[in-house]
Amino acid sequence: MTEIRESGEQFVRAWRDNAATLQAAHAYDPAHEHESCGVGFVASIDGSPRRDVVTSAIAALQAVWHRGAVDADGKTGDGAGIHLQVPLDFFREHIEHTGHTLNEGRMAVGMVFLPRTDLGAQERCRIIVESEILKFGCFVYGWRQVPVDIEVIGEKANATRPEIEQIMFSSPVGRSESDFERDLYIIRRRIEKAALAEHITDFYICSLSCRSIIYKGMFLAEQVASFYPDLTDERFVSNFAIYHQRYSTNTFPTWRLAQPFRVLAHNGEINTVRGNVNWMASHETRMAHANFGDRVEDLKPVVQSGSSDSASLDAVFELMVRAGRELPMVKTMCIPEAWTDDGLMPQSWRDLYAYANAVMEPWDGPAAIAAYGGRWILGGMDRNGLRPMRYVVTQDGLLIAGSETGMVRVDEATVIEKGRLDPGDMIAVDLVDGGLYRDSELKDLLSSRKPYGEWIKESTKIDALIKAEHEEKPAFSREELRRRQVVAGWTLEDMELILQPMAETGKEAVGSMGDDTPIAVLSDKYRGLHHFFRQNFSQVTNPPIDSLRERRVMTLRTRLGNLGNILDEDSEQCDHLLLESPVLTNAEFHAMRDYMADTAAEIDCTFPADGGPSALEEAIERVQREAEDAVRGGCTHVILSDMGTCAERAGLPMILATGAVHSHLVRQQLRTFTSVNVRCGECLDVHYLAVLIGVGATTINPYLAQEAIADRQARGLFGDATLEAALGHYKKAIQDGLLKIMSKMGISVLSSYRGGYNFEAVGLSRALVARFFPGMSSRISGLGLSGIQQKVLRMHARAYDEAAVPLPVGGLYRYRRNGERHAFDGAMIHALQRAVEGDSYHLYKRYAEAVYAQPPVNLRDLMRFKSKNGAVPLDEVESITDIRRRLVAPGISLGALSPEAHETLSIAMNRIGAKSDSGEGGEDPSRFRPRPNGDNASSAIKQVASGRFGVTAEYLNNCREIEIKIAQGAKPGEGGQLPGIKVNGLIARLRHSTPGVTLISPPPHHDIYSIEDLAQLIYDLKQINPEARVCVKLVASTGIGTIAAGVAKAKADTILISGHGGGTGASPQTSIKYAGIPWEMGLSEVHQVLTLNRLRHSVTLRTDGGIKTGRDVVIAAMLGAEEFGLGTASLVAMGCIMVRQCHSNTCPVGVCTQDEALRAKFEGTPERVVNLFSFVAEEVREILAELGARSLEEIVGRTDLLAQVSRGDPSLDDLDLNPILVRADSGGYPVFNTVAGRNEVPETLDAQIIKDAKPVFELGEKMQFTYNISNTQRAIGTKLSSKLVRKYGMSGLQPGHITVRLRGSAGQSLGAFAVQGLKIEVFGDANDYVGKGLSGGTITVRPMTAASFASNENTIIGNTVLYGATAGKLFAAGQAGERFAVRNCGAEAVVEGCGSNACEYMTGGTVVILGAVGDNFGAGMTGGMAFVYDADGTFAHRVNPEAVIHQRVETEYWEDVLRRLVTEHARETQSRYAERMLMDWQREMPKFWQIVPKEMLARLAQPLTLGAREQRA
Amino acid sequence: MTTDRMLKFVGTAKRMPTKRPADERAGDFGEIYDEFDAAAAGEQAARCSQCGVPFCQVHCPLHNNIPDWLMLTAEGRLEEAYEVASATNNFPEICGRICPQDRLCEGNCVIEKGFESVTIGSVEKYITETAFANGWVKPVVPPRERPETVGVIGGGPAGLAAAEQLRKRGYQVHVYDRYDRMGGLMIYGIPNFKLEKDVVERRSALLADGGVVYHPNTEIGATVTLEELRARHDAVLIATGVYKARDIMCPGVGLDGIYPALDYLTASNRKGLGDAVPAFDDGTLDAAGKRVVVIGGGDTAMDCVRTAVRQGAASVTCLYRRDRANMPGSQREVANAEDEGVDFQWLSAPEAFIGDGRVAGVRCHRVRLGVPDATGRQTPQPVEDSSYVVDCDMAITALGFDPEDLPVLFGAKGLEVSRWGTLRIDFRTMMTSLDGVFAAGDIVRGASLVVWAVRDGRDVADRIHDHLAAKAAGRARDAA
Repeated sequence: MTEIRESGEQFVRAWRDNAATLQAAHAYDPAHEHESCGVGFVASIDGSPRRDVVTSAIAALQAVWHRGAVDADGKTGDGAGIHLQVPLDFFREHIEHTGHTLNEGRMAVGMVFLPRTDLGAQERCRIIVESEILKFGCFVYGWRQVPVDIEVIGEKANATRPEIEQIMFSSPVGRSESDFERDLYIIRRRIEKAALAEHITDFYICSLSCRSIIYKGMFLAEQVASFYPDLTDERFVSNFAIYHQRYSTNTFPTWRLAQPFRVLAHNGEINTVRGNVNWMASHETRMAHANFGDRVEDLKPVVQSGSSDSASLDAVFELMVRAGRELPMVKTMCIPEAWTDDGLMPQSWRDLYAYANAVMEPWDGPAAIAAYGGRWILGGMDRNGLRPMRYVVTQDGLLIAGSETGMVRVDEATVIEKGRLDPGDMIAVDLVDGGLYRDSELKDLLSSRKPYGEWIKESTKIDALIKAEHEEKPAFSREELRRRQVVAGWTLEDMELILQPMAETGKEAVGSMGDDTPIAVLSDKYRGLHHFFRQNFSQVTNPPIDSLRERRVMTLRTRLGNLGNILDEDSEQCDHLLLESPVLTNAEFHAMRDYMADTAAEIDCTFPADGGPSALEEAIERVQREAEDAVRGGCTHVILSDMGTCAERAGLPMILATGAVHSHLVRQQLRTFTSVNVRCGECLDVHYLAVLIGVGATTINPYLAQEAIADRQARGLFGDATLEAALGHYKKAIQDGLLKIMSKMGISVLSSYRGGYNFEAVGLSRALVARFFPGMSSRISGLGLSGIQQKVLRMHARAYDEAAVPLPVGGLYRYRRNGERHAFDGAMIHALQRAVEGDSYHLYKRYAEAVYAQPPVNLRDLMRFKSKNGAVPLDEVESITDIRRRLVAPGISLGALSPEAHETLSIAMNRIGAKSDSGEGGEDPSRFRPRPNGDNASSAIKQVASGRFGVTAEYLNNCREIEIKIAQGAKPGEGGQLPGIKVNGLIARLRHSTPGVTLISPPPHHDIYSIEDLAQLIYDLKQINPEARVCVKLVASTGIGTIAAGVAKAKADTILISGHGGGTGASPQTSIKYAGIPWEMGLSEVHQVLTLNRLRHSVTLRTDGGIKTGRDVVIAAMLGAEEFGLGTASLVAMGCIMVRQCHSNTCPVGVCTQDEALRAKFEGTPERVVNLFSFVAEEVREILAELGARSLEEIVGRTDLLAQVSRGDPSLDDLDLNPILVRADSGGYPVFNTVAGRNEVPETLDAQIIKDAKPVFELGEKMQFTYNISNTQRAIGTKLSSKLVRKYGMSGLQPGHITVRLRGSAGQSLGAFAVQGLKIEVFGDANDYVGKGLSGGTITVRPMTAASFASNENTIIGNTVLYGATAGKLFAAGQAGERFAVRNCGAEAVVEGCGSNACEYMTGGTVVILGAVGDNFGAGMTGGMAFVYDADGTFAHRVNPEAVIHQRVETEYWEDVLRRLVTEHARETQSRYAERMLMDWQREMPKFWQIVPKEMLARLAQPLTLGAREQRA
Repeated sequence: MTTDRMLKFVGTAKRMPTKRPADERAGDFGEIYDEFDAAAAGEQAARCSQCGVPFCQVHCPLHNNIPDWLMLTAEGRLEEAYEVASATNNFPEICGRICPQDRLCEGNCVIEKGFESVTIGSVEKYITETAFANGWVKPVVPPRERPETVGVIGGGPAGLAAAEQLRKRGYQVHVYDRYDRMGGLMIYGIPNFKLEKDVVERRSALLADGGVVYHPNTEIGATVTLEELRARHDAVLIATGVYKARDIMCPGVGLDGIYPALDYLTASNRKGLGDAVPAFDDGTLDAAGKRVVVIGGGDTAMDCVRTAVRQGAASVTCLYRRDRANMPGSQREVANAEDEGVDFQWLSAPEAFIGDGRVAGVRCHRVRLGVPDATGRQTPQPVEDSSYVVDCDMAITALGFDPEDLPVLFGAKGLEVSRWGTLRIDFRTMMTSLDGVFAAGDIVRGASLVVWAVRDGRDVADRIHDHLAAKAAGRARDAA
């Protein structure tokens, strides 16, 4: 970090000013802040308060610092805190100090943050607090100024430090604890409202309770007891303690955001928060409870505006708990376990969940929570298990749970149980009666409390009903169909490319390369309203969900009708209709309509084609009015339909109509009384339906798509398929697509997605968005109602002109002359190729001028340079060589590219000292040495993507930079796929897989579910390569600025912002078109927010996605980039002609194919690539000279040199680029990277090991080391492996050459990338990511010899073990967590049980599991083999049968393999469990299953079954 | 899924429809290619790579949506294929036959390099012939009749394309042509072995059925004046083409037995149509038994040599001053001509015609190619002392065409022309210097391809519609 140039006060002032400027320009929204954390709790199982509960929690906070971030001053943390029982003895003394004696009322304490510097406001707050307390008949003892030690907090934290005081008071006599606690809840809400009414903002009540108190603030976690000396007082005893360490994505210290909150502390992120908060607002209408009576009004709004996701969830938890629901029930309602109608789950639990589903939309997203609700202290996990929570039960009666094992040091001899929470699980202690409740005990308890099975019979499942009765038949004539298609803006291309595959195969169409058409607002063609909505997606702060391989946690279940009072607990709440899917065919719709009878109102959504200039707006208002009247009149279903479209009437865009009705009903507090059902002609693809649901639709009937399918079916285009079958396919494609779109945002439940506006508008009028899609972001404004009306009417005129209309041919996906414009058209491709072939800068300029002469395609085309100084002579501008070094050939994998093309790029970029990016898929080690002619084909940047293909210690040590690809511009939030046809011998070897077998990259990195996980991966990579810089690749989206700030705090050196135009080898067409935003928007936001947070100078910013000229480079620099990627352009330079069939392996120019015959056509040369980059650099020089700049660095972030020249089409309301051009004041810090080398991370144990291992490196000796460790020592063995691989290569040492023996709890990433020759033995346990990327090393983990518990019944290693391992061995005497051996492709491992999703995506290696496994075993497993010991015969319910078969071990060969591994496990870990099993082998062996991927069946070297051997013989 | 059926170029070789053997086809004037059958058309269409940027379309003057109708053909959806093909082209069956695809769509096909292009032209022809055979090709039925009338001068490809496009919008269209048949060069210029005449007549009949009124044998300036036409019609389109043969300047050019290409081809075509052609019947324009020399290297020269072969010439020699790579004509046609026995003498330029009253030989000299000029073409330089004589009984000059002097011919002084004699138009409106008089095709762009004429005809129809619609709107405003 650079020196500190601002004082804390200056920083705070500048930050606030900057934030206000950026917010005013719509460039930044604090609502996008994210946070992530470490969390945990300690509880006394018998409920008795103990001092060691408190000290343990404080100790735990000292062992989670690495899950938080530290500011440059080394003192300002992102927040930490602790939640405890109120220590009565302690406060009695302080009450006495106030001159009072304790009265008979119940004592309560409020922990209050008051404005510190504004003494007037401070006093007003005290008055508000006291008067509200007094109104409830309480007695106030007085205030206590909480002693704090400001020495331990940073300057910035101190600058925003509140005055921290406690108010001590007592209840009226005789008030019970729970009644008083409820009073206090109401009092606190009243106080908060009163303070808000007085516009006091720096006021916050941490806790106001007679039971518990929260100490929190902006210090480092380990400083909690130093900052609050209270906590060191021996009288602080408690029967529970919740602790929390926060990691936030900004650097501004905001005290109130520290956790724990009043009920819960949360590690995770609620992805559905917008939908949840909106629905809560709707629920408030009906909210009532006897406990609150009239006071319920004081509680509204339940969720205060501006709350973080965790705070919002806490508010709902608090409401429900105070209303009398038990805490475990509240967790079950808000964060339910995933459930389906089949499987092993008891019926009573299913009934419980069905009831919970009827009452409340789940709050969905990664979550490990620790919550306190008076009687209960509880730990809970989300439905996907996306956060770790490990626990220990000790002999002396403590339950210790937290994000990591080892946070509280416990003597293993005293441990009774070591466990973990699986997805959807809970663990709790009843603090009143005492007692530990594990997951199933809790759920049994809850499900027996009420007759939920009876209640849910009130719900009517209408799926069966609507399928039986009606027949699908076409309703329109050919001509009518044609006109309606034209009016909907459909083309032949839509029919062939989009609709046909859906109805024929049930899958969405796949395309390749990027989107190079104009963004919708810049197009002169008709683009439906859905084109203006870009799908939100998660990156870094939360993971996308894998909608294909982890489908079981997702649901499209849809409730229709009247929703009840969420605070009730009775059967009436279940009185509504239920559907398994919101997508209805025509027959299904009619059946549903018949069933609804007069409970439904149909509303015509058309307007007169010859109406006045505001005909559309009037129609929308009419529709809103009619909907409102219908609901007020008692209708429980509203049906919006554009069926009435005809020659005289034009249809409203149904997205607009739906959004208008939904938002209107929400504002009128009527939405909860009705369903909103949409019959829409325009919707065709998945994206359109997703938008409709996102803006509030309950069900959708895409009737015109159905008619088009019927027409095609009648013409025989689906072969022999019936219309029902084709419609079934279409519906399936839509449903899977909806799941995919939800999963990108990390949302697994449709009811929480509905009305969540999980989109951002690009080019829609801000006023229109605020009116109809409130809360959705729309930064640059654009098309408004009048423009929409013009567009709709133009299409209407075309469709209903007198002549018979042909369906336009299209051109949106592939260039067609009369279709949409494409930035790279034929002339442009040829012009560029001629220039680079002929080495002619003159021809290049002709190409560049042709690019500039195009009508605008990108936002940057609306800008021009604004020179402030005179020109400088060209000679004075930095050289081509200097500029070229900033250019990058972005990541395109070998696999997508042919080896020839891939190497050509690397050689070219190395020749000019620039960087090429390997992409995902590894690189042939032979490329790591320069060739005889001096060419270097090793990519300077090595990519690490979610598949971890080819990521070995050697690969990572042969680069200057490691890029973590979080998301890809063409398909953010989705995984990738390399079709089997492209996996030839070379590709398979590099990816450690099998030729011909399809390779799948998961949507998330399974070791990055949150920002602290990313920090961990960065840490690991900086260990395995001690010199390489680490780059994190993100995709532009609104809110990316705060994510980037988090990434910068995670010690990334470069952040790459990819635009939506980026390329792809294969991706669903709707993803290419509708996800991600232009890099101009993302880049400028990142630059601004990093500047705001004083992080900009510590990272390099890079951008890519459609950059193809020097002008693009200069504009990117002005928007904040220092490095620039040219992907498609460099492909074109090598001969690519945009055939866009990369996914078909038929590239006719040999660029993007593995077919030998086609590869022979490759004519690209390094010279052509060098020419391209030189020409671009030369053009940059010319522009710089004109602008009077001598280097690119001078213009980084200089948006003042840009001016908007065009505001787009006159029909637009306004198209305002100011959000992109606004600048934050840098406060004297540079706005480009000033870090030479890289941002270093703290050393780990390896520094010591390497020192001790000198003889190994100097003399090659065999050695053994022994150390004691704790969970803060992470990635043990990784840096050592780097040294080893550099010295001895991947296989230069024999296994076990160096043995490192460790005692204690190992931190995360134990033995990551460990190489052959290294053996790590742990006595104790280990956390997540053991053996990540294992490259040949051996790891054993076993309990301490003193431990008395049974190893196979306890958890010993964490989640995501062996992720991407390519070779090596792991033996763990105990259970592993979730996703064991995910994407393992070579390691052998034995564990004694594991959580869900084990062996997911595995492509090689052998895994033996000697105990029970969780659900979804072997999903997407395409290689390798697994053996599972199934004692209770439930494995068949656990396995995901899509990709694998399971059978008993039949042949001797495989039995030997199994037995050898179990024997080795027993030897390595001394596991008594395994030893017993071996002794009884003949009896135990038949209980094993052998699991083999289907794709491997024909490829196994040894037969699986006896029969097969005979056949072969 | 479409791509499953397409992209077959990797495994399927290019196969043209069967071409009749040279010795067989040289004996008659029938077209030399057979038709694809349905299976072959589908198979060949399926070789298309379905490009993201279809260079076939980019380089097609009509921007035909080629990948789309190839895909539809591969899927056997020929009615739809015809709908798509005919949406951008008025005469797909004619373009399919006579376009120099090797220089346009097929020449730019991305699989050309190494896999040989998709047989786009043959598929186009197949689609349209199938459409005719199935009765999918129907006369224009305009949605409503408009009162405005448009006069079109010239019944060639530009004029007819414009006529059909205007008729689709309901205009009253009259086509005037100085010949007795409609079709222009398509009927009298292009030999039968490339384009059989009933194909052209089928189209002109279809237009007539759709309500286009023909006025054959009408010479503007003689039968009727341009002024009269302007008075009679709301708009007039001049699409006469260019007919004046470019002369060769050398000694002996006045000898008998030297004919301009078009005279020669027209006579042959008229014979084919069954007309009485005295100049042919008396042997003047019949190459039978003669030694024939054709001078020039364009498509017209190829038509001449191949016609001469079919008429039974004793020998046919083609003289061209550049080499094969630099000739303007279609390589495919050259190959066909060579197969049929034509002797090509590259890099040789005529110096003089020799003979006594009647041509008996052409004296030529050898040529070498110098440095490229501004247009990139290498300039021919004579090789000294390289003269030699090619004996001949008949010499045909095919050196290109220039515009006739229309202002004089039409008696329309105000009609402005360029320095090449082509009509000067405003490229935005396609209107000539005379109000309401438009021009399109070769008379504007100079001698060019039929496909360009169709394109121009379609474009000018849109401009004429814009013009007339604006006038109608003006009238409506005035009336209001």
